[in-house]
Amino acid sequence: MNQEELLIKKDRMRFIKNKLPANLALLAILFDVFYFVSIYQSDVRDYYYTIMIGASILYNLVFMLACFLSSEGIKNYKLGYAWLLAGLGIGQIVRIFVLPAQAHATELKKVGRVMADGQYTFVVVCLVVSAVCCLAAALIGGYRSVVLKQYQATLETKSA
Amino acid sequence: MAQLRLEHVDKIYDNKVQAVFDFNLDVKDGELIVLVGPSGCGKSTTLRMIAGLEDISRGHLFLDGKDITQTPAKDRDMAMVFQNYALYGHMTVYENMAFSLTLRKEDPNVIHKKVLAAAEILDLTSQLNKKPSQLSGGQRQRVAMGRSIVRNPKVFLFDEPLSNLDAKLRGATRREILLLHKRLGATMLYVTHDQTEALTLADRIVCMSMGHVQQVGTPLELYDSPANLFVASFIGLPPMNFFDVTVKGDKLEGKDFQVPLTAEEQKTLSSYQGKEITLGVRPENIVEGGSLQIKVFSNENLGMNTLVHGHLGSARITAKLRGWKNYKEHDVVNVSFDRKHFFDKETTNAIGREQKQ
Repeated sequence: MNQEELLIKKDRMRFIKNKLPANLALLAILFDVFYFVSIYQSDVRDYYYTIMIGASILYNLVFMLACFLSSEGIKNYKLGYAWLLAGLGIGQIVRIFVLPAQAHATELKKVGRVMADGQYTFVVVCLVVSAVCCLAAALIGGYRSVVLKQYQATLETKSA
Repeated sequence: MAQLRLEHVDKIYDNKVQAVFDFNLDVKDGELIVLVGPSGCGKSTTLRMIAGLEDISRGHLFLDGKDITQTPAKDRDMAMVFQNYALYGHMTVYENMAFSLTLRKEDPNVIHKKVLAAAEILDLTSQLNKKPSQLSGGQRQRVAMGRSIVRNPKVFLFDEPLSNLDAKLRGATRREILLLHKRLGATMLYVTHDQTEALTLADRIVCMSMGHVQQVGTPLELYDSPANLFVASFIGLPPMNFFDVTVKGDKLEGKDFQVPLTAEEQKTLSSYQGKEITLGVRPENIVEGGSLQIKVFSNENLGMNTLVHGHLGSARITAKLRGWKNYKEHDVVNVSFDRKHFFDKETTNAIGREQKQ
């Protein structure tokens, strides 16, 4: 890509939405949905895990809201939302070790292993993909936001 | 280069209603043709047939000598601007203008250049990030035009693009379309029912009524030498005055008034001696001073001119007199006609050419 094409590409950013990271953020929500649909089908009749699932429901609501807002924000090249997306991505990785890993490692007398191998693999994949989407959205969106900001500053300098 | 030719084009709908009859027209490269006529006269149908949005029932359509009668709309290389703008509300101005090129999978950088160039022409650069709902009617119509410009089509088709705008915006946008035509030098077909738009924009006007072409000519030809009673009544504001008169020697006799004829006019009407014809006089061709008497019943001051409404004998007449007048009801104004139009009573066609008194 030559210099002129690069310049046009930057200039285009003034008029087109930052769609790729925005869509990645939406994809992160989708995989989070896959995750919680899978995990809430478990009925372990155990007070501890019921509490954990309750907390997980609340977190999911927060995650989906924050991720959706970030998607809209990053679409308009707002750098702050890239940081939020990065935080949400890291949060998805951490979640693997909170509920699924513990449930997978625990065996109860009444129901046996709380989370079977197959389900565990599935939810881990869902969370990892969701996390990757969030982090990629943060990286791409953040980078583009910075590039656009710098380009606009150049334009302002020129016009001044 | 874009020359358009319509040969014996008819439009007959499935219910056997014929909307357009034997339409023939040669549009030269870079010409701005205005199709004008009242609602339901077939002008929009003709435009839609040219665009490929309606089938041509009979006849042929040629673009640069190539028969495109059966060519689908998307392959005709024509762009249409609609009355209701037809913009995508969820897209920005930039996205709306770029949309057709995006669908064609053109290079995004090329699209960007074309959109910026079109926005520059239409003075929309500062509006590119706005949604259509944030724009005024005139700006929305400019976006619709911009969407056409970026495609660089062979022919631009405008279907009453100014009808949704208020009078002031209409005037401004009309001037922009004229400038655009001069700047692009593109072939354009423009449909309107507004004769002012037709007279001010057109290189040539096609006047239509009931699906038939009544006259094709320059604005001046249509104004000065209307081919028939319909064109005479449709073109011109206020409309032409018409009187039923009988040709008698060196004068025309109305029910209760007489209009003298010049030698030249007598010659033109020589074959109509003793016959009844229709006399047409434009309000602006009525001047103060003369043997004809108008009994005034209202007076409208327009600044530079005054519209005087009254009766010539028992016939209604409107005169557009120069200057500010203050005639009152029952006043009598002596006038004469400095230009007359004659129409055959049966065929409604113009007799000879207009004559100076």
